[in-house]
Amino acid sequence: MKKFPQDSPEPVEPEVETEHAAAFAEELRRAADALPERINVDSQSVEQGLAKLVLTLIELVRRLLEKQAVRRMEGGDLSPEQVEELGLALMKLEEKMGELKAQFGLEDEDLNLDLGPVGKLI
Amino acid sequence: MKRLYAYCVGDQLADEMLEGASGVAGAPLLLLRRGRLAVVASPFEGKAVPATRENVLEHSRVNGLVLAHTTPLPFRFGTLADEQRLGEHLEKNEDALVSALARVRGCVEMGAKVIWDAAAQSEAQGAAEDEGRAVEASAQGAGTEFLLAKQRALKGAEALKARAEEVAALVAAGVEGLARESSVEVNPSGSLVVRAAHLVERGREEEYRERLRALGAGRDDLRLMLSGPWPPYSFSAPSA
Repeated sequence: MKKFPQDSPEPVEPEVETEHAAAFAEELRRAADALPERINVDSQSVEQGLAKLVLTLIELVRRLLEKQAVRRMEGGDLSPEQVEELGLALMKLEEKMGELKAQFGLEDEDLNLDLGPVGKLI
Repeated sequence: MKRLYAYCVGDQLADEMLEGASGVAGAPLLLLRRGRLAVVASPFEGKAVPATRENVLEHSRVNGLVLAHTTPLPFRFGTLADEQRLGEHLEKNEDALVSALARVRGCVEMGAKVIWDAAAQSEAQGAAEDEGRAVEASAQGAGTEFLLAKQRALKGAEALKARAEEVAALVAAGVEGLARESSVEVNPSGSLVVRAAHLVERGREEEYRERLRALGAGRDDLRLMLSGPWPPYSFSAPSA
């Protein structure tokens, strides 16, 4: 049992206030579930971690290329033939990324690194 | 070598603050002093601290005990260190830790989280995508169709981001002049759109709640959760 000196203030108990407790509990549980309890270092997880890192960087570049292609299309500096050709190339790249992700058992969200205060990579 | 569970570090800690209290697994609390600093800790046997409800509450309770007297820099739940290494850490980083303590002195952390209405969110995104679709020509090849679909998706994402930033700006306006510092995460693609932590002077916690309650009252599409006072978990990293 705790004993406090006579002039000591009570410990600070944080209050949580919301009219939507169930909705927040669900959201916070989802966030907690996404965090690994412990990182296991074995040959398989290292291989998958490396694949994840490489694919994340490729995904970042791929999305930047897509954005740039859309901007160029909007800017009107591409002929209809060039738009079609660029679109087909990016479509194939997306398909290829899908195959690689499936091969390593990765989902879209796995390729979005959380950079802490900077935010998410993608 | 003695292994310690660390709760928080401070420069105004006294043994009397911990009198009679115990820590994780019922272990007695102690102060490890180095220079101007001290760490609240307790002996711990084992490699890791299980993340049980009881242990998390114990960690929070010990930090709440200290927070009643002074604002410490809290360690994350589960922080274990050898006594010697912890002491060396304090010695090596004394100036930076004293500066970090000065930054949070007299304050507590308050939190505001916002969930937004998923229907309104997808409606905004859909409207932006429809706008993109309207400019689309009728007969397209597969490549052109692909790029137009990407254009619609980008417009939708931009619209969503703009709305999420509006929500964050609303929260920021609500605590203007009240929060000494803010740490805000905006996540347009999720339901939990804003997670904000604010460094608020002691004694102004109720004012904080009242101001943010008033914000929530005017927006049926937003659900608000307020929490605190907490030790300044979000403001314990050395400032840039």
